[in-house]
Amino acid sequence: MEIVVNGALRALPDELAEPQMPLLWALRDLLGLTGTKFGCGVAACGACTVHVDGQAVRACVTPLASVRGKRVVTIEALGSPGRPHPLQQAWAEHQVPQCGYCQSGMLMAAAALLATRPSPSDAEIDAAITNICRCGTYPRIRAAIRAAAAAR
Amino acid sequence: MKRRTLLLSGLGVAGALVVGWGVMPPRPRLGGVDTLPVVEGEVGLNGWIKIAADGSVLLAMTQSEMGQGVHTALAMLVAEELDVPLARVRLIAPGRDRIYGNVAMFVSSLPLHPAESGPEHGGYLGRSGQWVVAKVARELGISVTGGSSSVVDAWEVLRFAAATARAQLLGAASLAWKQPASELTVSDGVVSHPSGPRAHYGELARTAAATPSGTVRLKPPSEWKLIGNAAPRTDVVAKSDGTALFGMDVRPPGLLFAAIRHCPMLGGSAGTVDVVAAMKLPGVERVVRLGPYAGSTAALAVVGRSNWHARRGAEALVVEWRQRPAGGLDSKAILAALEQRARDADANDGGFVFYSRGKVPPRGDAGGPRSVTQVYRAPYLAHAAMEPINCTARVADGKVEVWVPTQVPGLARALAAEVAGVPLDAVTVHVTYLGGGFGRRLDVDFVGQAVRIAVECGGRPVQLIWSREEDMGHDFYRPAAAAVLRATLGEDGLPSALQITSAGDAITPRWIERGIPGLAGPVDTPDKTTSEGLFDQVYAIPHQRIAHVATRNGVPVGYWRSVGHSHNAFFSESFLDELAHEAKQDPVGYRLALLKDAPRHRAVLLLAAQKAGWPGHGPVRPLPAGRARGVALHESFGSIVAQVVEASIEAGVPRVHRVVCAADVGTVVNPGIVAQQLESAVIFALSAALHGRIDIEAGVVRQTNFPSYPMVRLADAPRIESHLVASSHPPGGVGEIGTPPLAPALANALFVLTGRRLRELPLTV
Repeated sequence: MEIVVNGALRALPDELAEPQMPLLWALRDLLGLTGTKFGCGVAACGACTVHVDGQAVRACVTPLASVRGKRVVTIEALGSPGRPHPLQQAWAEHQVPQCGYCQSGMLMAAAALLATRPSPSDAEIDAAITNICRCGTYPRIRAAIRAAAAAR
Repeated sequence: MKRRTLLLSGLGVAGALVVGWGVMPPRPRLGGVDTLPVVEGEVGLNGWIKIAADGSVLLAMTQSEMGQGVHTALAMLVAEELDVPLARVRLIAPGRDRIYGNVAMFVSSLPLHPAESGPEHGGYLGRSGQWVVAKVARELGISVTGGSSSVVDAWEVLRFAAATARAQLLGAASLAWKQPASELTVSDGVVSHPSGPRAHYGELARTAAATPSGTVRLKPPSEWKLIGNAAPRTDVVAKSDGTALFGMDVRPPGLLFAAIRHCPMLGGSAGTVDVVAAMKLPGVERVVRLGPYAGSTAALAVVGRSNWHARRGAEALVVEWRQRPAGGLDSKAILAALEQRARDADANDGGFVFYSRGKVPPRGDAGGPRSVTQVYRAPYLAHAAMEPINCTARVADGKVEVWVPTQVPGLARALAAEVAGVPLDAVTVHVTYLGGGFGRRLDVDFVGQAVRIAVECGGRPVQLIWSREEDMGHDFYRPAAAAVLRATLGEDGLPSALQITSAGDAITPRWIERGIPGLAGPVDTPDKTTSEGLFDQVYAIPHQRIAHVATRNGVPVGYWRSVGHSHNAFFSESFLDELAHEAKQDPVGYRLALLKDAPRHRAVLLLAAQKAGWPGHGPVRPLPAGRARGVALHESFGSIVAQVVEASIEAGVPRVHRVVCAADVGTVVNPGIVAQQLESAVIFALSAALHGRIDIEAGVVRQTNFPSYPMVRLADAPRIESHLVASSHPPGGVGEIGTPPLAPALANALFVLTGRRLRELPLTV
């Protein structure tokens, strides 16, 4: 099987890449893209959020079969060292991360939101960012999303 | 047993070694030039600091970064004394020397009342106890990140190590240039003399290593450039672009993956296992039977080519699970029994007395002064760190390599060596970033499991990842607790007497048994964590008896962010609020009246009240209809925090809109990180206060994942403000201190809204 990840066509070993294998484990264990995190396995926490054709999806419950022919983008390609995504800059300005484990998913969820709602209201942020952070970075995430939206 | 006897004979956690300390020479914690291994171009100056050829400072980092910002804060201490930019400090792994052991955490495990500890009080008993434990802890050299002790422990040690290195580097320049050291200046790691010569640290290091430091002087606060500033965290970029390496992100070549299924019944075991279906699945390599390791329940592991393949294999195992011989655990029955034990001990003056003064009046004194008696309860709680429990291990050629997000690398090493049957020196432990710890990663059960699995993997590395369900169902839980609180009010409405009798499992003896078995004693010494937040209150209540009944219920219990304070502050600060209402007095004013001799606590409470617009303390902040305020004040880990919560009830559910925190954390190293930690602790405590409960039936934990163990999410997060009281005291703890006051402050606000006093967590209206 082949899937498009971060702009590149990636081949997955046939003996392992079964259609029902969740995208999360293919990214992490077959492709070595460990920026996408495992948190719950039941789409409840959002740590595994990636973009599929621009939409935020939870990779732990997304079968490989469903992303064939679609574009998968992970945290590794949200920005680049020289050109960080505006949200990544806002994350630094607002000193968002603590343990950092949930932040890949938070950033991907926020980036998908801003892509469709460039100036989201508080209610739209509440509705879009349902990921869990045990370090309680929520107030800073809200502030950083607003800052990134304002900066665009 | 009396407290005094305990202190002199038991000395808390380190008691078993007290007898031996006198014959061991005291070891300073500076270390020597050869304590740290060096590669070409590096020069070791002491056990903490090496200088690289380009002048970078390499700092041995003993503390695990789990979100609390310790990698930034400790690097700041060193950068400050060495006059280098923070970015020039690079972190390296420490070796196994005893200088890296955490002394402050062990000292703080002594059950001392504030009147007996603290430099400003100077009680002889307290100081001598602290001195002895410090000596013992230095000998033990146990590296621990916990107890909010990282900066407390490093404060003198790291600044002294850096200042010593600086003095040697200046000495080297002084020798080379034949100029007095007093005329040299340092800027950004470059030493210069007004007459012209200049050199960076890398050019001076080799001579410096052989140059005596002379008298080392720490910078006075007036010269600090970095300490006290909100320097950006050094880990933010890596934690925003996916490159930060957590435990389950390590990818050694040839990596295999392991999934685990514990016996669902806590403490149970596995009987017959049918592996046929599992082994038929593609990508499944082997099944490994796991006994108990460092307190874990027996389990089966399946090794596969990806985590998903391993997990499918684990799900396909057909296992005959066996209940533990003593029968299935039941949390409801345990809580009922705890309440009964507390009531009995309250009636009979039982339990271990952690603090007493004056004389508490007898019960049921009809016709006497007003008295109030109430019972409070708290459930078991899971840690549920975002990164599920995991460990990666390789056992090959008589050597063991472990990659693990842990708060106790030394204990991980010891268990890995034991399980693999190799000497300690054959084990290398790599500590990764921790995707949250909160105390769960003070246990090393999963390290034993991973090494055992790796032994079966023919030299290939294997990464064990617990599912969220295994993580939640096989935690070391915050112990359930119950307490009877009884107060007598005087003519002025203030409490003249306070008796608290609590019951619940002691954590420390169980943790020592499973993590440091060599230190476990034949009997449990009283554990401060059971009564912290109850026996050590500073309120001026003349008659007190604060006791605890330590139980052993069989549920695996562990340290949970703020430990005993997490529920004891709910008991003590909710009860005090009850007394204020009983006396028809303002809750802030009531507390202030009891804090006449506690100026630091007064200042914190007043700051919170003022910033929250509490009536009577500056401009009043009018509240929207349907909202109310509650307040709580609590000291823990050497710091003092007050919180004012603004709450309402929406659709029958409590909602918190705003939390104003005021804190005295002593000298502040990085106010930005302090604010982060206060926010973090508030949200963490709010999840517990609103939702947190672990129920156990027939030995099985009923909560399995976030849908049944819910967390506060962004939409529910309140506005949080943090305000710090300026202080020149040495640093106190930061990471846990904001957790204890939240639940009582919220419960106190809900009382104003409903007139109903909530005495059990989680809070339901």
